[in-house]
Amino acid sequence: MLEARLGEAAEFKKVIDAIKDLVQDCNFDCNDSGVALQAMDNSHVALVAMLLKAESFEPFRCDRNIALGVNLTSLTKVLRAAQNDDILTLKAEDAPDVLNLVFESKANDRISEYDLKLMDIDQEHLGIPDTEYAATVTMSSAEFKRITTDLIAMSESVTIDVSKDGVKFSAQGDIGNGSINLRQHTDLEKSTNSVEIELSEPVALTFSLKYLVNFCKASALSTRVKICLSNEVPLLVEFGLSGTSYLRFYLAPKIGDEE
Amino acid sequence: MPRTRSTKGATAAASKDKTTTTPDTPASTSLYTLPSAPPNPPKLFILPESATPKARIITLQNPRYSRPARYLVCPTTGFYEFTKITTPSPSSQPRSWLLTPSSSSSSLSASSTTIQSPDLFLATPYDPLFLILPALATPCKRMFLSPDDHLDALPNPDRHLSNILTCESTRKLVERRMAVICDTVEAGDEVMYRLNEAKLLSEIISKAKKMAKDLPKSMEDKFVKKALEAPVMSIKSSQAPLPALAPPSLPTDESSADLDTQSAAAASSSSSSSATTPSTEMSESQLAATSTAATSVASRDDLEIISSSLVPSPEVLSLQRLRVSFSFILSSYLPPSLSAALKTQLPSQIDFKELDAYLDTLQKLRQEAAASRANDFSGKRTRDEEEDERLEKKRKLAEEEKLKKANVSRGVKKLAKVNVTGMKKMSDFFKKK
Repeated sequence: MLEARLGEAAEFKKVIDAIKDLVQDCNFDCNDSGVALQAMDNSHVALVAMLLKAESFEPFRCDRNIALGVNLTSLTKVLRAAQNDDILTLKAEDAPDVLNLVFESKANDRISEYDLKLMDIDQEHLGIPDTEYAATVTMSSAEFKRITTDLIAMSESVTIDVSKDGVKFSAQGDIGNGSINLRQHTDLEKSTNSVEIELSEPVALTFSLKYLVNFCKASALSTRVKICLSNEVPLLVEFGLSGTSYLRFYLAPKIGDEE
Repeated sequence: MPRTRSTKGATAAASKDKTTTTPDTPASTSLYTLPSAPPNPPKLFILPESATPKARIITLQNPRYSRPARYLVCPTTGFYEFTKITTPSPSSQPRSWLLTPSSSSSSLSASSTTIQSPDLFLATPYDPLFLILPALATPCKRMFLSPDDHLDALPNPDRHLSNILTCESTRKLVERRMAVICDTVEAGDEVMYRLNEAKLLSEIISKAKKMAKDLPKSMEDKFVKKALEAPVMSIKSSQAPLPALAPPSLPTDESSADLDTQSAAAASSSSSSSATTPSTEMSESQLAATSTAATSVASRDDLEIISSSLVPSPEVLSLQRLRVSFSFILSSYLPPSLSAALKTQLPSQIDFKELDAYLDTLQKLRQEAAASRANDFSGKRTRDEEEDERLEKKRKLAEEEKLKKANVSRGVKKLAKVNVTGMKKMSDFFKKK
C-alpha cells in the first residue's frame, strides 16, 4: 500500500495545476523511490515528466508498484479543498479503486478526507535517455514566462537562438516582429535573476509558443527554470522542485515551417 | 318428442299485424286462482298467411350449427325457419304479451290471454337446399346418389324428416331444390344427384344479390356504412364532439319487425355469426368498424356535416353490400367447411378490386388517424424493446462522453487547437519502454 505525507500541500497543488492544462488523464506510478508521472498531450508533441522522490515526503511508504489512474481535472477539484499549508497525505491500497487524500490543518484540528475514484488508463511509457544538450540556459522562471506571453502576441511560434553572445527569443508574425535578447550575467543582489548559459555549440530552434506558455504555468513552482536545447531532440524545460524532485516538459521543435 | 300441433285451425288468420297473431296454446287460465305454471309455457308465434293448416312444426338438424332446431313445414308452400326475437334492452323490465281478439266489441276477459314470455318467434321462408347441404357436401369423394341415399346421410334424430318426405309435394320440392345445385344423371327411372360447388356458388351469389338490393337497416348501418366510413381527420371547432354511440346490434323494435323477413333473421344471427366464425371477412370488417367506433369522437350525425376525407362510390357501396350479404348467408346457413371453400371461390365470380382498393386506402387512413390520436393523447412510445435498448446504450455512451468532456481542462482544450505542423511526435524521439 501507499502512504505518502507532504509537509505542505502547496507544491503538490501547483504541480497538478501545471500538468492538468497539458494532459487530461494520467497514471501516477508509485514505487519505493517515489511518485513518478509521465504523460503526453493529446497531439503527442509534448511530454511531461514528474518525479516526486521519496525523500520529499515525510514519511513515504510504498511496498510495491502501484499505478494510480487519475483524471487531473477531478484531482484539481479535490485539491482545491486543501489549504496551501495543510499537511497532505496520499493513501492507496495495493490494487486501489480510490485514492485517499487527507488534508490536516496545522492551525487547528481540522482534518478533511477525500476519496477520488480511479480509472484504468492505458498509456504508453517512453524511455527518456540522459542527453548532453548543446545549450543549456538557466534563468528566472518569471522572466521566461514574461518572454513567452509577450511574444505570443506577435506570433504562434518562437525561435530560440543560443550563441556565445547570449540567448535570443524572436517571433515573426502578421503584425510585425519582435525579439528579446538576454546576455549571460550574474545578479549578485538577486541571484534568481541571473542568466546562466552553458554552450557547446550554437543552436537555433523554433517552438510552438502556446505550448511554452502552457509549460510556464509551472513557474509558480520554482524561481528558476532550465531550458535545454539540441538539434534533432525535443526542448527540455525543467522546473526544480524541493530536494532533487523535478517537473520536466519536453516539446518537439518545429521543422521546415519557417516560411 | 311428440309432434307439436301448435297451429290449430286459426292459423290462416295470422298476418304481419301483431294483434291478430295466433296463440298456440289454449287459454286455460282462471281469473281467481293461480294454477301452477305449466311445464311448457305458451309462446307467441307469427306464422305466414300462406301456410296451410297442414303445416307442421318439426325438428331437424340445423345445417350450420349441427344442432336440432325447429322448422315449419307446409306441404304446399315449403319450409320456414323460426327466428327468435328477444326484447330489446332494457331487458330488466318484466314484459309479457296480452292477446285479444281483433274486434274490440267482444268482452275483453272472455277470449283474451296473456303470455309470460316476451319473446316472439317469427316464421320466415327457408330454402330446403340448406337443409340437405350437409348430406351433399361430404368431405370424402362425392358420388352420384339417389335423393333417398343423400337424405339418409342426414342426421334424423326424431325421424321427422323421413315423415315429412312421405308427403309427395314436399319431396318434390326438396328434389327440385337439390337439382339446382347438383349435377344429375339418369339411371334407369331414377335421377342421381351429385353436388356441384360452382352451381352452389352461383345460387348463393344470386341469393346474396337479392339480399344486397334491400339490406336491412341495421346491417346497412353496421357493416356497410360503418365499415366504409373514413376517419375524421380534423373536427371543426363549431361542432361539439359527441360521444360515439354504436347503433344497437339487435334491432328488435317494432320497426324492424316490419322489415323484410330476412331482416329479423339477419339481425338476430349477425352477432352470433361474427362470434362463431371469427375468420370470415365480415367479422374482420366488423372488428375494424367497432375499433373505429371506439376511437371516433363524432357521432354519425356529425359526420354528415363534417366533410369526410374519403367517400365510397356507389359501386363500392354495392360491392360491400354484396360481400356482406354473401358472408352472412355463408356464416348463418352453410356448414363451416363448405362456407370456407366457397369463400375462396367468390373472387373468381365477382370482381371486388374496386372495393379492396378502397378498403386498403381506408385502412391506411385509419392507421394514420389512430397514430395521430395516439400521439395527441397518450404520448406513449410504441417502439419495440430492441430499439429501446439501443437508445439506452446510445444515451449511456453520450453521457460518458459528456462526463469526459466536462473533465477536460481549459488548457487541454486550447492546446487541441494549436497548429502542430512540422512538429514530430514524442515517440519519434524517445523509444517505447
